[in-house]
Amino acid sequence: MAPFELAEPGSLPDALALLDAEGARALSGGTALMLMMKAGVLRPKRLVSLRKLGLEGIDTGPAGELRIGGMTTLRALEKSELVKRHWPVLARALRTLSNVRVRNVATVGGNLAHADPHMDLPPLLCALGASVGLASREGVRNIPVEQLGTGYLETSLRHAELITILEVPPLGRRRAAYLKCTTRSADDWPALGVAVVSDFQQDVRIFVSAATDKPTRLKGAEAVLKGKEITPSLIREAADAALAEVHIESDMHGSADYKKQLLRVYLGRAIHEARSAVH
Amino acid sequence: MKRAAQSTETPQVGRSVPRLESWLKVTGRAEYVHNLRLPGMLYGKIFRSTVAHGRIKRIDVSAARRLAGVHSVVTGEDVRKLIAEPYYGPAFHDQPILALDKVRYVGEPVAVVLASDLHVAEEAVHLITAEYEELPAVYDEVEAMTSKAIVHDVLKPAGTFPDLKHMKGRTNTNIALDFHLRRGKAPEAMKTAARVFEHRFRTQQVMHTPLEPLVSVAESTDSSLTINTASQSPSFVRSEIARLLGWPENRVRVRVPFLGGGFGAKLYIKLEALVSVLSLLTKRPVKVSLTMEEQFFTITKHASTFRIKSGVTRDGRIVARECEVWWNGGAYADIGPRVTQKSGFTAPGPYDIEHVAIDSYALYTNLPPAGALRGFGIPQLVWAYESHTDMMARELGIDPVEFRRRNLLRDGRPQATGTVMRDAAIEKVLERLQALMEWRAPMDHGSGTVKKGRGIAIGFKACVSPTTSLAMVNVNADGSCIVYCSTADMGQGSDTAMAQIAGEVLNMAAESVTVVHSDTDVTPYDMATLGSRSLFHMGNAVKLAAEDALKKLNLLRNELQLPAEAPIPEVFRKKYGMQAGNVVGTGSYIPSYKSPDANGLTDNATPFWMVGGSGAEVEVDTETGRVQVRRLVNVADVGTPINPKIVETQLSGAAIMQLGFTLFEKMHFDARGQLRNASFAEYKIPGLLDIPEAMTNEAVVAEQKTGPYGAKGVGETGTFGVSPAIANAIQDAVGVRLTSLPLTAESIWEKLK
Repeated sequence: MAPFELAEPGSLPDALALLDAEGARALSGGTALMLMMKAGVLRPKRLVSLRKLGLEGIDTGPAGELRIGGMTTLRALEKSELVKRHWPVLARALRTLSNVRVRNVATVGGNLAHADPHMDLPPLLCALGASVGLASREGVRNIPVEQLGTGYLETSLRHAELITILEVPPLGRRRAAYLKCTTRSADDWPALGVAVVSDFQQDVRIFVSAATDKPTRLKGAEAVLKGKEITPSLIREAADAALAEVHIESDMHGSADYKKQLLRVYLGRAIHEARSAVH
Repeated sequence: MKRAAQSTETPQVGRSVPRLESWLKVTGRAEYVHNLRLPGMLYGKIFRSTVAHGRIKRIDVSAARRLAGVHSVVTGEDVRKLIAEPYYGPAFHDQPILALDKVRYVGEPVAVVLASDLHVAEEAVHLITAEYEELPAVYDEVEAMTSKAIVHDVLKPAGTFPDLKHMKGRTNTNIALDFHLRRGKAPEAMKTAARVFEHRFRTQQVMHTPLEPLVSVAESTDSSLTINTASQSPSFVRSEIARLLGWPENRVRVRVPFLGGGFGAKLYIKLEALVSVLSLLTKRPVKVSLTMEEQFFTITKHASTFRIKSGVTRDGRIVARECEVWWNGGAYADIGPRVTQKSGFTAPGPYDIEHVAIDSYALYTNLPPAGALRGFGIPQLVWAYESHTDMMARELGIDPVEFRRRNLLRDGRPQATGTVMRDAAIEKVLERLQALMEWRAPMDHGSGTVKKGRGIAIGFKACVSPTTSLAMVNVNADGSCIVYCSTADMGQGSDTAMAQIAGEVLNMAAESVTVVHSDTDVTPYDMATLGSRSLFHMGNAVKLAAEDALKKLNLLRNELQLPAEAPIPEVFRKKYGMQAGNVVGTGSYIPSYKSPDANGLTDNATPFWMVGGSGAEVEVDTETGRVQVRRLVNVADVGTPINPKIVETQLSGAAIMQLGFTLFEKMHFDARGQLRNASFAEYKIPGLLDIPEAMTNEAVVAEQKTGPYGAKGVGETGTFGVSPAIANAIQDAVGVRLTSLPLTAESIWEKLK
């Protein structure tokens, strides 16, 4: 690992100023960053710790939306009574996200900024219609999580821009499920993740991840399902539509053919799970 | 030190004494080489080959040397200045300390950067460049038999093993050892058999993954060398380093504290020759500690191919068996030739078969070296013969347990080598497995997309022979006791077991006995901590040493006219007029052994047999092929347990390790010999959630009459049956037969669709 400078600013403006330099990287939980630095993939000159910016916390906003500070740990989110009560799908997904040691330090903002397509939260947050608040020296902006990931480890985050807050709208009449499938050990990165959020009338959002290079919306499958009675043949039709609209490549988790089969199977299972979910 | 006082009223053996070192370990005070820092110490980081087979044209270390903070950069040519023939290995002197002339696998050490700051050394490694003239390479063990790509120009057997002498000087071959066994007339018997079955099985290359990666530290003077190392074989390290340097053994001191796991990865020489040379060249202490990931390029488990053919009578008796096994040894032989022979001769399995032919080949390939891994080749063999056995039983319409029972190798009957089975509870293990699996009860095979199945498998192993262990037992004037032995406690609990044995002889609580760790200046010779040999060999040596000490104490009592029950402190006070002096008992143990003849036959192949069986209940998702092992039962013959709790945890640990090798662990290489998943994000080992909810680990009631208090080794036995038991259960569930490990969901789905 190459030597680097570690800065621990106490305010957001200071952090943004420190980040606005060649070779500077933000350090949140550091679980992915440290691995990349040890592997020599990333060689930052300066790490800017976000620990002292007061960016952690979980509450609800005026419209009943869940507001999560960017530096909130995954474990805090998993254990939050608020989340368990009103967004139980998030708490459920977090229980099998990596392991408890990682969840204790990894943060929501860091997780989203990393943009590894094998992560569990991005497809689920996309399906839930969540958005993120971004801060840079130019000011603040708000974008849907769906627009954050642009490719493998690539995001639409601009230079020296931070995720300060994540907002998840209330589920309302919608019900949600996230299913993943690992093909090696139980705590492996998934070969496939599928998130389904729907009121099982007109509103349906489905995202697939892990088998694709970023969380990908299955609009064709959504169109098949919209406003229809869920039947086995309808699910088959939706799976056909899904397979026609995503590009899946072979990797060490499995061949493209196998992962297509997983999508076919898990799409159906996720729809069933969402339908029978309390939320 | 926090240790519970324990009365001597209860026997010391057969008691689940909590591990003596557990308090030190959970409070972070146990000694490991990883924590060792010496004044003036340099860290070495290794620059590795990027080609699988090539002549070294040029190594440019100038930029690395120029980096601020770098002490020096060392290549194979620098090593050659110190040692003319810097090649090491237990079976062949084939492995250079750093690559010389050629590289033979991707990841082979080529140069080392030394610096006081580990991170500077690591940074400088990136500045080294090397040019190779690439040579044709071979990766597959069967192709290596006839390949034009030759890994070693000339074979150089170490001379330690008589059966390797004929390999000396051979050229134009990748065969490091061919072992052949002929008993009866297998080809003829095959012709007259009612049914003949032939199958071919494969296992994949995997890694040991000890929690503590390989690490060694050397410090030197002009005339002496001290090596602190995480090694399972300090005595071998000492003699091999002494041989390389042309020094007498008393100038090389090898110290081994606790090991954070070994599983065969830390045997023979790994980093020890390298740190020794680096320390002698720099006149500074040098430490090399591998990262977890570098271990993939250091030592692995043999991939293998096994062709097995059986002739069976109409009533389901196996009369003939042919076994042809190819072991993928990688670029350096390590202990592979021993695996080929010492495990090879059990390839026909624990069955009573009159006509047997075995051909077992150790092959060089351009992959990372393979050596011993918890089972020494046995899991690869059991995987094949127990899958084969099940396939035959199903074809013949005979219940798999009944088919095995009909052919079982019973006590008093000769095994393939001709060695008569003694104290091998094969039958008991099978019967107990059947009972625990409730085999006679009907099985619910599931419904919908979840199908259920069950399977069993049983295997055996001959302990490697002949090997030697020596021990000393010191009784101090206050009556306290110290055991000196070179067995490495790598988590298997050997310290506790040795303390129990010494305590039993001397009527002392095991908790009160101290066990001194390997230090070749202090502790006597031991062959190595490997192959489940230590409890039997070192246990016998410690028992003899303790008995010797007791005899000497009793002689003193006699001489001093003290009663037999006189307390030890009183004996010494009377002898020396104060609390002074001590009594040292010594013990050495080597079992009898007879080398195999030209046909591979011997009537004394091993001092003891290990027997292990597993039963698995699985659920298979018919839409995805995903397998859940719902229940895993492991039954073993371990003789009479010295420490029942440790026996249980050894069995479960071994079975869980083998579960990973069965279901998903695999080193994936591309077409150029590059490892594609050299990280633990992509090479997965079992986690807690992979362990079956229901797991039973049981030792049958048995006795190894030649073992210390009836005991024998247990470290590997839990691995034997796991892979075939699960494969057999998968076939029972969904009718799919897999012949290649790992048993991935995708390979099941491929056959289901």
